[in-house]
Amino acid sequence: MPADSAAIAAHAALLQADIRALTDCAVRLREIEARLATGETPRWLREAINAHVAACATAAADLTTAAAHLRHYAERTRP
Amino acid sequence: MSDPAAESMRAAARELVDIGVTIREAAGHATAALTDGALLSALPQAPSAGYLAHRALLRAITDGAGLGYALTGGRLGALAAKLGGMAGAESLAVRVLATSLRLRIAAVALDHPELSADPMLGRLIEAAAADRDLEAVRALRALLKDRGAVRALSALAPVFGEVLALRALLDENPLNDDTAWLIATGKGYATADPITGMSNKMVAVLDTGEGAARRVDLSAAETARLSPQGSLLGFLRNISVVGTTGRVLIQSVAGLDGAVRHVVQAPGIRAGRLDGDSPQDLLGAFSSAVLDSSPYSRALAKAIDDYGLPQGAELALIGHSAGGAAIMNLAQDAEFCARYTVTHAVAVGSPVDFKRPADPRTWVASVTNQHDIVPTLDGQGAGTCFDLHPDWYAVDYFDSTHLFPLCHSIEHYIANIADDLPEARRRIDGRLGPFRGQVVRSQAYRLSDRAPRPAGSPFLTVPTYAVDGVELPIRCHNGSGLTAYFAADPAGAAALLEGTGFGPAVRVAGRALVAVHASWDRRTSAGGYRELHLGIVVPGPWRSRSPLVWLDLLRGADRRRSGSFLAGSVIDAAALGAVAPRLWGGEPYLVPLEFELTSGYARVAVGGLDERLLTLSGVLGPWLPVSDRDLVGYARGAAGTALRSCVRTRGLGRLHPVPRLRLAVAPGSAHPLARQLRELGLDGARPLLCLSATARQTLRDAAVPLPTL
Repeated sequence: MPADSAAIAAHAALLQADIRALTDCAVRLREIEARLATGETPRWLREAINAHVAACATAAADLTTAAAHLRHYAERTRP
Repeated sequence: MSDPAAESMRAAARELVDIGVTIREAAGHATAALTDGALLSALPQAPSAGYLAHRALLRAITDGAGLGYALTGGRLGALAAKLGGMAGAESLAVRVLATSLRLRIAAVALDHPELSADPMLGRLIEAAAADRDLEAVRALRALLKDRGAVRALSALAPVFGEVLALRALLDENPLNDDTAWLIATGKGYATADPITGMSNKMVAVLDTGEGAARRVDLSAAETARLSPQGSLLGFLRNISVVGTTGRVLIQSVAGLDGAVRHVVQAPGIRAGRLDGDSPQDLLGAFSSAVLDSSPYSRALAKAIDDYGLPQGAELALIGHSAGGAAIMNLAQDAEFCARYTVTHAVAVGSPVDFKRPADPRTWVASVTNQHDIVPTLDGQGAGTCFDLHPDWYAVDYFDSTHLFPLCHSIEHYIANIADDLPEARRRIDGRLGPFRGQVVRSQAYRLSDRAPRPAGSPFLTVPTYAVDGVELPIRCHNGSGLTAYFAADPAGAAALLEGTGFGPAVRVAGRALVAVHASWDRRTSAGGYRELHLGIVVPGPWRSRSPLVWLDLLRGADRRRSGSFLAGSVIDAAALGAVAPRLWGGEPYLVPLEFELTSGYARVAVGGLDERLLTLSGVLGPWLPVSDRDLVGYARGAAGTALRSCVRTRGLGRLHPVPRLRLAVAPGSAHPLARQLRELGLDGARPLLCLSATARQTLRDAAVPLPTL
């Protein structure tokens, strides 16, 4: 079923792009924290951004695993 | 000017929204992969690899330490997301957006120190942000108890949208999530109530109607207060003059270049019912804010069309509150903008963030007070971190008056623009330069949700025609009438009927039945008038005697044979009295009449004080409800013809079976009507029964000639 295989591979490729986007999000979050480090930054912000950065990293790792499994699945279903 | 630190926070909040949207897209892609049928259908070929792929995807979109509970997109994803929302499971994207909203609130607090200085407000905001439901409810209750609803709302106004969105994002109600997302991302107006999740469109569609406008005159005092010159403050003061009365004003201004341009001035909502006849009610304000077209904007368009402007005429639209949303709806109506050139749109205190003018050349200005809740109805208030309209001139200011609705009033905005916002006034006035000049025409309109029902419809909506300058049938919108039935001397009645072809009179215990009908038709198509008829009740022209005549009296006029033969009549309107012989036969006398009728008392006096003919007055006594009865009259017309006329009536009447009225004929009166009454033996008589109607409508057509009797 080449159509299924191609669709699965396409999902894997999209997730790969999302992994890069999430990594980029973590970087941007760090930059926000740095920009707001001075001045009247609310105390809770650092804590919240740290949590978001960690979650982005975990999410990227989860998607990396999922993308790898999808690629493998696509190869196994190729005729 | 906003605090630079606050601006940095808004910029960060904006970027957090961008990050949240990116994360949500990633979650959407993973959900799409998991729910794609291709993955399932390929499973038999590689069950082990397929299982591992499914498991990895499921983990990716449910990992609390990663994307969170992040099923989103597609039917299955949306359903799962709602179920997860009900269970209180949050996604990373929602958490990032919540951080953005909290940052927006923190930025507003820098501009509004009173927010952070107020422990009760701080407690509420903190509880909402931390998703502590019970604590948030307690904090809100304490705030309401301490300040009252108005002061609590006023205090919260600058962060109202953010607090509601934050609450909606984090609560367990899945119905308000989309609205929270829209408010947080600034992608569109709030589509639902952020608390309950009830759709705004569901509420707004209750405000129905094609919109209608009719010309009205302003009072002399109002006209005197209109600004004679075009200017921003002049137009806003005109809106104040017109007031929230359901009216709008259109003016033409001769510019300094000699060209005449036109200005539409639309006030805000009218105080009163939630959904009245006017589109300027609370529902109208809501629908104008959240819909692209509303009864208010459609009614405005009809007023402008009626005003009579040439194709392409230049228009400036000025609106306050709901009026601002309505004029922006007009500005974004491509069809309207094809008829006229909307050069300017100025909205003051209005929720217009998601309006888009159809003509990119339309210059738009928005002036909002940050403590005014009305402009935040679309979800974007003082805390917004988005510049939704970089090409608009937007003034979002605050002053020392925090109390809503005072800070929303047009008078307060006028005072702020006049005294506190000189730069804004100068800028807007500068752009309105072509409209600065002498006002050469002003016309007010009363707007309504739909074209008003014609007065008296459907009963009085009939074809009309003119006879001798009188429009027939005469349509009475507001009148009252009294019919008193007497037992009269049969010989006197027979004498009056002799040679007429009618008769004999209907008998009651051997006496002749006579009707005295008096009425006061206050508002008719022929003006107001009073009249009195003396009639002998007859079975009909072709039926001399019938035992069924009493049943016949109960029929409607169109099927009734019996009626009153007109023996004499008086009227107090000269013009109608002059044409009456040709229209209805007889020869009515022009005499002053007094008519007074209440539910329990009647008094009819014929003739002036110095030459009184008769009075019929007294207590009407107990009554039974009946529909007011039609009247049928017979008379002799010109050249001896017999005429039949009808008065059709509509309205509730009362039957008084034991009236305590008395008819008194003036002792010295030699008037023919007085003489007839004496001959009938009615001087001093009491009626057998009376029919009264204190409020009725009547239709009175010309009499119809009968075949020769």
